[in-house]
Amino acid sequence: MKLVIGNRNYSSWSFRPWIAMKVAAISFDEEVISLYVEGSREKILKHSPGGKVPILIDGDTQVWESLAILEYLADKFPNAGFWPADRQARAHARAISTEMHAGFAALREECTMNFWRPPAKRALSAPAQANVARVQEIWTGARAKYGAGGPFLFGKFSAADAMYAPVVQRFVAYDIDVSAPAKAYMQAVIALPAFQEWRRAALRETWVIPKFEYDWPEVKRLPAEAA
Amino acid sequence: MKLVIGNKNYSSWSFRPWIAMKALGIAFEEILIPFGTPLGNPDFRARLAAYTPAGLVPVLIDGEVHVWETLAIMEYLAEKFSGSGFWPADAKVRAHARAISSEMHAGFSALRGECPMNIRRPLGERAISDAARANVTRIEEIWSGCRATYGGPFLFGRFSAADAMYAPVVARLNTYGIKVGRKARTYMETMMALPGWAEWRKGALAETWIVPEDEADWPTVLTA
Repeated sequence: MKLVIGNRNYSSWSFRPWIAMKVAAISFDEEVISLYVEGSREKILKHSPGGKVPILIDGDTQVWESLAILEYLADKFPNAGFWPADRQARAHARAISTEMHAGFAALREECTMNFWRPPAKRALSAPAQANVARVQEIWTGARAKYGAGGPFLFGKFSAADAMYAPVVQRFVAYDIDVSAPAKAYMQAVIALPAFQEWRRAALRETWVIPKFEYDWPEVKRLPAEAA
Repeated sequence: MKLVIGNKNYSSWSFRPWIAMKALGIAFEEILIPFGTPLGNPDFRARLAAYTPAGLVPVLIDGEVHVWETLAIMEYLAEKFSGSGFWPADAKVRAHARAISSEMHAGFSALRGECPMNIRRPLGERAISDAARANVTRIEEIWSGCRATYGGPFLFGRFSAADAMYAPVVARLNTYGIKVGRKARTYMETMMALPGWAEWRKGALAETWIVPEDEADWPTVLTA
C-alpha cells in the first residue's frame, strides 16, 4: 500500500490517514507531493481523478478523501480498531468524524494547520470561536461518555482521533485557550510517537506556501531542532 | 427508527438519508422540524433538542443510538441492513463509492452556495461563477465515469448511498437549468424517476415556509 500525501507542514487532510495507519501499525510506502506549485496538480491527477491528496493506493484500488480512506482501511483491517467495537460508540465516532470532515470552515480557514509556526494567538471571528467551542464539546462529550478505557475520544485511539489530529495542531499553533479536559486530550494526541514523527518531518520541510503563512512575506518558523 | 429532518423544500442534507431509505425499502418514521427563520433560531433548536443533542438535521434515532451527519447515517444503515445494498458489495467498488460520497460531503461549496436546493423554485437558468462551473464539470466527470465503468443506470449499477449523496445536486442542476451533457441528464432523469423522489417533491411543494438564506433572489421569492 502507498499513501500519497501533501506537505507535512500544511496538509491537514494528509495527516489524518497517515497518523491512523501509523498508530494502527500498518506498514505503507509514502509519496510526498509539494502542493500549490507548478506541476503538483498533474502529479496528483496521475494517482486520482479527484485532484486532491491524500490518496491511498492498494493494488489497483485508489481511494481518495480522508474519511473514505479510513473506511477502506477499517474494512480491510477489521481488527485494527479503526472504529470502536460497540455499535453505539461506532455510530457516534462516525458522526463526529463526518462533522469534522465537512465542517468547521471558519476555524480551518483562519487557523490553517502549520507545524513550524511558533505558537501565537490570532484574533478569531465569531464563527471560528463557535467552531472552537463545538470542537471542545465534541471532545469532552466523547471522552465523558466513551473514553473510560484510555486517553482518546473512545478510550483507545480510533479513526475519530485521526480526523481531529490536525485540529489539535491548529489549537497549538494559534495558542487557542481550551478547557482542562480538552487540554488533557490534546496532550494525549501530541504524545503519540506518530504525532511527533510527523512533526519532526514537517519542521524539516523547506516548501513554503505563502497563502498559509499569516505573517507573509515573513515566515516565522521553529528551528528543526525544536522537534 | 425515526429520521428527523428539516424542510423538504430546502434541506438537501435531510433529503439524502431520506431518499436512500425509501429507495432501499427501509421503513422509518419521519419527524419534520421546520427550520423557521433566521436559520438556527432558538425555537428550532429547542424543538430539535427534544430528539437529539447534536443540534443538526438530519438525525437518525434508533433506540438509544443517535446518528447525525448524512454520511455517518449511511454508514450506520449500511451496517444495520447489510443486505440492503447501501454500498456496493465489491471492496474496490465500495471504496470508489465512498470516495465520491466523501467528495460530495465536503466539497462543491461554490455550487452549493450559489444554487441552494429549492424544490419549489420554477425551473429557470441561472448564471453561475467559474468556481461553480468547475464543480459541475467535476460532478459530470464523476457521474459519467461511474456509469461508464459500472454500467448504470445508477452510479454503481443499482441504487446505492452514493446516489443518495448526489440526489440534492440533481435537484440543484435541474432547478437552476445548469447546462450538462446528455449523459449527465440521463442520470438525472433516472434519479428523478424514483418513486421516493416524487414523494419528497410532493411534500416539498406542499410546504409554505420560506427560508431567506436559501432563496437565491431574496427578497424576491420565485414561485410557480
